[in-house]
Amino acid sequence: MRRNAACFLFFFALCWMLPTRAAEPPKKLSASAIQINLVEVGNVEIPAEFRFAIYECLIEQVRKSGTFQKVFRGGDHAADAIPDLVTLHTTVEKYTEGSQMKREVTTVVGATKLDVGVTVTARDAKTLLDQKVSGKVRFFGENLGATNDLAKRISKVLRESF
Amino acid sequence: MHPLRKAGPFARYCSDVKSSVLVTLLLGVSAALAQQPDQNPAVRHLIGLESIKRNATGQLTVQNGAMQFKGAKNEAQISVAVIDDVFIGSETTQGGGKTARVMKTAAIAAPYGSGHVLSLLLRTKVDILTVSYHETGGGLRGAIFALPKGEADKVRDKLVQAGAHTNPAPEPKQAGKP
Repeated sequence: MRRNAACFLFFFALCWMLPTRAAEPPKKLSASAIQINLVEVGNVEIPAEFRFAIYECLIEQVRKSGTFQKVFRGGDHAADAIPDLVTLHTTVEKYTEGSQMKREVTTVVGATKLDVGVTVTARDAKTLLDQKVSGKVRFFGENLGATNDLAKRISKVLRESF
Repeated sequence: MHPLRKAGPFARYCSDVKSSVLVTLLLGVSAALAQQPDQNPAVRHLIGLESIKRNATGQLTVQNGAMQFKGAKNEAQISVAVIDDVFIGSETTQGGGKTARVMKTAAIAAPYGSGHVLSLLLRTKVDILTVSYHETGGGLRGAIFALPKGEADKVRDKLVQAGAHTNPAPEPKQAGKP
């Protein structure tokens, strides 16, 4: 009697867990092409070279990752003909200017940090992805190195989502 | 008694070797810095030109209605007519090029963190020139260069004279932290 009850409980628990496990893997989005727009800065004061460095690094990294068949730059008219095009918008939310010298002398302080909001929208302006990503340079390298780190992280997010 | 005398001849020898390595590194860096010609300053391409590698050094000229970057292996050209804007920033970074970078990495092994002194010695201020332009298809591009201090203004003026479109120059940002 006790054994039957244990078996019943075990199967009940198993049946209860199975559907939740099946629901765990997130559904991947699909798109053949992406258009990457220039970084928006809002009210955050950030040097122009950082905006363009993030933009150029992003294009480089997303192309390198091979997640999309085609990667278009912002304003490229060739993207207009792609039906399943998605658009990547990035907005700088926080920028902390570091110091290369402090980083290399102390190895503790002087990190340059960039926090951005990443949004991917479809043609109908529906938001497909909305996430926050940070980039930083902690030890060696110029302050602009943070843009490369950020682009790598955003590219990873896209690879995991598409 | 002095600790090295107590430690014996081998420790003294090691200490001498470390000191001479550090002195050699410092002399090498000084020589590398002295090799940079003042008359013909080299420009470093940071990112944005497709045919040019990152951190490639070369000459930046404005002539015949185009801005031209000529590196050791390749060259790239941007027509003045497609330039949307030119931005100037500044940053304090490491000077001395690749030689200094290699020496700085090697200096990590120097005793008592004395290699970090190279970071202090190798500071140099540079101008950052950002040229925003568009391709024939309308795609936005940005090319970023590091120039010796005071050179970016000259290039910007040349571009404006050649007919490049620029928005009114914003207040130049104070030098970035080294």
